[in-house]
Amino acid sequence: MTDTGLFRSAGLRFAVVYAVLLAASAAALALFLWWATAGLLDRQTEAAIRADAQGLSERWTEGGLPGLIVTIEDRLTQNIDDDAIYLLVGPGMQRLAGNLERWPGSISDAGPWYELPVRRAGMRSLARVQSYDLPGGYHLLIGRDVQVRAQLRTLLTDALLWALVIVGGMATAGALVVRGLFRSTLANVSATAGAIAAGDFTQRVKLSGRGDEFDQLAEVINEMLDRIGRLMDGVRQVSNSIAHDLRTPITRARTRLEDALLHADTPCTLRAAIERATMDLDGIVAVFQALLRIAEIEAGSRRSAFARLDAAPLLESVAELYGAVAEERGVTLAANLPAVLPGYGDGALIQQAVANLVDNAVKFSPAGGTVRLDAAATPLGLRIIVADNGPGIPALERGKATERFYRGEAARSTPGSGLGLALVQAVAQLHGGELALEDNRPGLRAIMALPTPDNQDA
Amino acid sequence: MTTRMPQRRVPVGLLRAALCLGFILVVAPGPVTGQTAVEVTTDTPEYCLHLLDMVSTMVRQAEQPPPREITDLSSEGQRMCDHGQTRGGIMRLRKALALMQRSGD
Repeated sequence: MTDTGLFRSAGLRFAVVYAVLLAASAAALALFLWWATAGLLDRQTEAAIRADAQGLSERWTEGGLPGLIVTIEDRLTQNIDDDAIYLLVGPGMQRLAGNLERWPGSISDAGPWYELPVRRAGMRSLARVQSYDLPGGYHLLIGRDVQVRAQLRTLLTDALLWALVIVGGMATAGALVVRGLFRSTLANVSATAGAIAAGDFTQRVKLSGRGDEFDQLAEVINEMLDRIGRLMDGVRQVSNSIAHDLRTPITRARTRLEDALLHADTPCTLRAAIERATMDLDGIVAVFQALLRIAEIEAGSRRSAFARLDAAPLLESVAELYGAVAEERGVTLAANLPAVLPGYGDGALIQQAVANLVDNAVKFSPAGGTVRLDAAATPLGLRIIVADNGPGIPALERGKATERFYRGEAARSTPGSGLGLALVQAVAQLHGGELALEDNRPGLRAIMALPTPDNQDA
Repeated sequence: MTTRMPQRRVPVGLLRAALCLGFILVVAPGPVTGQTAVEVTTDTPEYCLHLLDMVSTMVRQAEQPPPREITDLSSEGQRMCDHGQTRGGIMRLRKALALMQRSGD
């Protein structure tokens, strides 16, 4: 992998982020520990020196130079902790009181804190001191021996250092593990995508079984692939159906035109052949129009025309239209419709879907049969039922009945394109509802349920 | 009181110095003075004798004999100073002085 590729690696970025966060957290913890231990000791020392300085300042104000000298000597005498450092010098830096042999040359300014090396009983030690300027050119140095605290700070520093080294190692190891997990997970998805791109649509992303976020992602991807597969199968099936169903009328039209071209001996015969061929071609156009209509409905573009409506007059219109057709066939169309059927959706589409259902029912009902059209407004929405006494659809084929170009065995001998129920299904789905096909014992009962959302504005 | 620190390896020393520097910048600001150590004069045998004289003077001036604890501390401090354990002896003599002052109060 090139340098550029290395920096583009998301796995590496995740690993680096993990390592940096862990190291930063450890550093922050170490800093806090330092502040709460060694820092606390330093702050206590400084507070003691400030309090000492305040007391000596008061003695200077009350007793002047002699009083200050006595106080310093007293405090040295009473310093059981053996850590006090004092030095009072005059304007010529001559030593007046205290336990330092001379004023340190490196301490010139009053105010800052100094780390002063001192020698105690022949041993080197360390003191933390602060200088104060007194009136008259006098200078006072106050401090504490912090050698023990410095050693403690050294030990603490060592411990924190080793802790940081260990954390650094753990961060590195953890980063490598994170990177490995990330790469292995993505490798699974990548391999599946590669196989599908190569044409093997049966491949799916493997699940680890842990049910974690990666498994959820894999499930979503697999569901997406399944849906794509179903859509591809549908497209393939529709393509095949179009080719199969249209071949016959196109061939028939061609044959009639060819026959007329060869054998028609009068204009009248030729006109009749052309009219029959035109009718065949009109049937083909009607099939394409129906396909385009279904595609338009499935695209959802008609949803913008949804509004509150009263479906009762729409269904009455359908019943009236098909009542005459049914009568011609010797079938009774019984409509049981309430006066008002409040609903929500596209009235024209709903009317067309119901018309398709009634048309099918009338077409497949035997003479003397009855087609029932019932509708009701329920709390869940519109419920429209069309039932007939025809041959019905076998239970095993009902699932396929709403596919495009489906033609059951009983429908082979009747005219039709096999797109009626597909359109009804598309209309139901567009409205968020569903189409159910049931056995009417005998016959078929089609139930179209169209929900009415409570919060939809008219 | 001193504690001899164990020998450190160079890399650890360098890392420790770097870490110390970082911490010092945060929690312990302040310059470190030059390397010439200044002698502390209260760790010397002379100061030990000075404290012993103070204890003796206070014992003599006291109206009542001092408690045994004070005499023990004084004797122990004197003995440690005589044997070169100056800082230990001074510490005990300071305690003896503090107890004398407390009993006088």
